Amino acid sequence: MIEFYRVSKEYHGRRVLKNLSFKVAQGEFVFLTGPSGAGKTTVLKLLYRAEGPGEGQILVNGRNVGAMTPGRVPELRRTMGIVFQDYKLLPSRTVFENVSFVLKFLGVPLAERRRRAYQVLRLVELHHRVNALPEELSGGEQQRVALARALVNEPELLVADEPTGNLDHRLAQEVMRLFSQINVRGTTVLVATHDVNLIRETGRRCLTLDRGGVLEGLVEAALPPQAAWRRDGGVRLPPREGEEH
Amino acid sequence: MRRGAAFASLLDEAFSGLWRARRVTVVSILQISFSLFLVGLFLLAAENLGGVVDTLREETAVTLFLRSGADEASKATVERTALESKLVAAVRRVSAEEARGRFARSFGSLTGAAGTLSGNPFPASIELDLLPGAISSAALRPFLANLAASPAVEEVQFDVDWIRRLRGVVRLVAAAGLATGVFLALGAAFTIANVVRLTILLHRDEIDILRLVGAPEVLIRGPFLLGGVLQGLFGGIVALGLLALAFRGLLFFVSSTENVLLGVFVVRFLSPAICGVLVLGGVLAGLLGGTVASRRGHV
Repeated sequence: MIEFYRVSKEYHGRRVLKNLSFKVAQGEFVFLTGPSGAGKTTVLKLLYRAEGPGEGQILVNGRNVGAMTPGRVPELRRTMGIVFQDYKLLPSRTVFENVSFVLKFLGVPLAERRRRAYQVLRLVELHHRVNALPEELSGGEQQRVALARALVNEPELLVADEPTGNLDHRLAQEVMRLFSQINVRGTTVLVATHDVNLIRETGRRCLTLDRGGVLEGLVEAALPPQAAWRRDGGVRLPPREGEEH
Repeated sequence: MRRGAAFASLLDEAFSGLWRARRVTVVSILQISFSLFLVGLFLLAAENLGGVVDTLREETAVTLFLRSGADEASKATVERTALESKLVAAVRRVSAEEARGRFARSFGSLTGAAGTLSGNPFPASIELDLLPGAISSAALRPFLANLAASPAVEEVQFDVDWIRRLRGVVRLVAAAGLATGVFLALGAAFTIANVVRLTILLHRDEIDILRLVGAPEVLIRGPFLLGGVLQGLFGGIVALGLLALAFRGLLFFVSSTENVLLGVFVVRFLSPAICGVLVLGGVLAGLLGGTVASRRGHV
């Protein structure tokens, strides 16, 4: 489904990713973690071609994302659902409009838009707030609207950038439960988060970014307790391979 | 079905965009209306002057006054020459008696005075109806000179020069209207471009989100382009409405004034084709403004 092969990326001479290689299989649920500035958001942006790769190759569903012409990028993005850290909801539009906005532009008739929006809003348990504006919703509800918008086009791949960053622990767990439900339905899920407790609780494969590369692939069983993480430049990181937990 | 629905969405978004920036939209529509109104005034003047020229041309026949002693063979030669010239549609001979009868019909009050003269003072003549286009033909002047030189013809009555001059004025008015129109339409397109750009700034967030979620580029930029076209269309329609009002006002003024000459010049509104061209001009100005504002890099 996703394959990064020796991908490097620089911003203004500063190397963010260095020879990054990893794979995510179809139907997998994978966490991407690491300290702030490790390049989690960059990895996601490279996936949906908000950034072009400096070096290396990125394949999504067999398509070479880096070599894609700008005209093909919308097509790629329509196969994905993207949940942004800051939700990116349209403040002047209702929940229904936010969720069905893109469907409208794709020429989906109103009745079909209503049906699909209702389905995803029901999934995120916000079907009773279709006419509310984002400002009338709590942070958790806004996050769920963003998730509903990402799901409404029935994506093959769901990508989320710090989806629980602004939520309390209970709401974060609720969002993760939703991701798991979506994954069970066959959607590949890639979630970037620095919340190690959440990763542990959810119990899925985890890729940890460190200094631009994937440090290790961890599964819930192998994930060390947070107390055992080392400190590096003020940032907490999982212990290196071979280190004592 | 999907394309139709997508277009309906574009239209819906275009209208919403214009509504959200309604104050600027109104200013833009008024400016394009004013521009097209001025163009319309020029076209209206050209249309009516052109109508006057046509009427005069239709009403003006070439009259060849014949010498009193001209023989039949000479008159027949003149008629044959006229018909063979490819400038004349019909030839009509008017006898002295017919000429007197016409005078009597046209100027009844003067019939008595004409009757006091000894004999018939009206000469016989040959009237020529020119073919359409003959009046602007370079061959007309030598043709008339040739007829004037005929021994049967005493005088040729036809002043082509002033009709040509009038036609020149009509062309000048039309050209001035066109030049002003292009200039003003470019100004209007510039305004529309700015309005569309402002709308784009108001929708920056939506555009970014649409891009990120994979909306096709044409559907992202389409509403802004359509917004420009709609402004141009409304501007054209408003301009036509203003022109119709102005024309009605002018007609009212003409009918209430004693100057009958004005009635000759103000006779008809713009033809449906020219009305269509005027609205199309607005649409094109809007399309230009919308295209400039919504081209890649701006949106």
